[in-house]
Amino acid sequence: MIFHQIFEMVNVGIVILDKDMKVYQWNRWMEIHSGISGKKIIGNALFDHYPALNNKWFLRSCKSVFAFGNFSFFSQKLHQYCFPFKPVNTLNCKFKFMQQNCTLGPLRDENNAISYLYIMVQDVTEVAAYENKLVEMNSRDGLTGVYNRKFFETRLREEFERYKRYNTNFSLVMQDIDFFKKVNDNFGHLAGDYILKSFASTIISRIRGADIIARYGGEEFCCLLPETSIQSAQTLAEHIRKKIEGMAFDYEGIKIQITVSQGVAEPNTRMSTPDNILKLADSALYEAKKTGRNKVVTHIIGTSPEQASMPQSV
Amino acid sequence: MNTSHENIFSEEEKDILQEIMNIAFGNATADLANIIDIYVVLNVPDIHVIGVGDLPKYLDETIKLKGESSIVEQKFWGDFNGSGLLVFPDRTGKDLISVLDHNEQETFERPLAILEQEMLVEIGNILIGACVGKVADLLDTFVTYSPPQAITQTGESKTTLIESFDLNQSAIIMKTVFEFEKKNINGFLLIITNSECIGWLRKALNAFMESYE
Repeated sequence: MIFHQIFEMVNVGIVILDKDMKVYQWNRWMEIHSGISGKKIIGNALFDHYPALNNKWFLRSCKSVFAFGNFSFFSQKLHQYCFPFKPVNTLNCKFKFMQQNCTLGPLRDENNAISYLYIMVQDVTEVAAYENKLVEMNSRDGLTGVYNRKFFETRLREEFERYKRYNTNFSLVMQDIDFFKKVNDNFGHLAGDYILKSFASTIISRIRGADIIARYGGEEFCCLLPETSIQSAQTLAEHIRKKIEGMAFDYEGIKIQITVSQGVAEPNTRMSTPDNILKLADSALYEAKKTGRNKVVTHIIGTSPEQASMPQSV
Repeated sequence: MNTSHENIFSEEEKDILQEIMNIAFGNATADLANIIDIYVVLNVPDIHVIGVGDLPKYLDETIKLKGESSIVEQKFWGDFNGSGLLVFPDRTGKDLISVLDHNEQETFERPLAILEQEMLVEIGNILIGACVGKVADLLDTFVTYSPPQAITQTGESKTTLIESFDLNQSAIIMKTVFEFEKKNINGFLLIITNSECIGWLRKALNAFMESYE
């Protein structure tokens, strides 16, 4: 009797399934969050109500609970949730569904045989939200709000691995604001900061949602463009170059004009690490700087930047 | 190696433990194939008793950890308690996708790093659970598990792993080499229990023998 009250009262979802994956118990927490009463679901197949759970991962976990008495863990980090419930009591919640840590385990009868398994569902939405916030803070550049170098390098590694595995193309554009030191010297550091911020938001307005822009160093930025050919990347860089050239940034009534030099590169099969492509983009950028600035230099495969023609230069 | 640790078990007791592991791993292999379609070969286990203080050295020597090794650790509790460690000497996270019979397309959407972790944790949970579970069955008890943890960057995590053991105790190490059939993926499975449960283990071993006499 007391145990039953606890079963109904705990702030955790508890589901008990039999070997045919039919619901044997469904506690009050589950009723409240699912909107399905125990009366309605008990005796029915769980998958009738939650067809998405009828997948390899979940079935394998259930089998290993029944066969080995294993515990199985569906962590929020890896799976987000098992049951698609609405998030509750969370202000500013960015999650569409309640984030859950779920545990599956065996229930034994008096002969030690396993004929039921339990699923425990824990709401971890709030913790997950904090964690996301921390991760977000840790991946952004404090001044400009674009991604930081660390995040960029991680994404570059992932994109490079994808390229190696699936041959999905991507391109890199390295950007450096020309004579940035002069902005600082002539108008002060606050003006310099303003230029960095405005430059970053100008680029953001030109790239797609899946593209990544990061502040790579002082006045150096880098765009990672997934599934983009080097030709398209070059076109984009040229757009950006023209746009920046034509803009007058207004800092407290002072008009400041800047230009940007850019180096464009894509991966090739000879590359073994993501650093190789960074190096290429960087040497193309160096080339753009060396040969007059305010231009785009594209590193074409099979040529060194010195040999690459620069039809895009201004 | 400290002989006082070695003497915790008599030769006979070690033989029984060895035999139990053989049976348990045999059962585990068969059930994994029949029930979850995982085909794994578990070799005859070795049993060592060493001081926990010697564990780091042992792990270094046995596993020859390189920067690219992946480890999954899972603790288990009960009369029989300790840790299961599944060690892949090379970075095989991605290749494990094929062991679990997922095609690459359906897993394509997830970032590789996450996918690798999922595969490691999933395989770790299944293998450690199956082996420990079958040993527990034979010893007439059952265990509960903590969530498995993937340790891929071995440098710092390895130290943390070792610190999680009580250095004054003895560790019974059951080590086996496993290989997934036709996948060319292999590694070590270590089951480490500490001396806290040695008294219980000895009783259980003797009870196991008596049931055959």
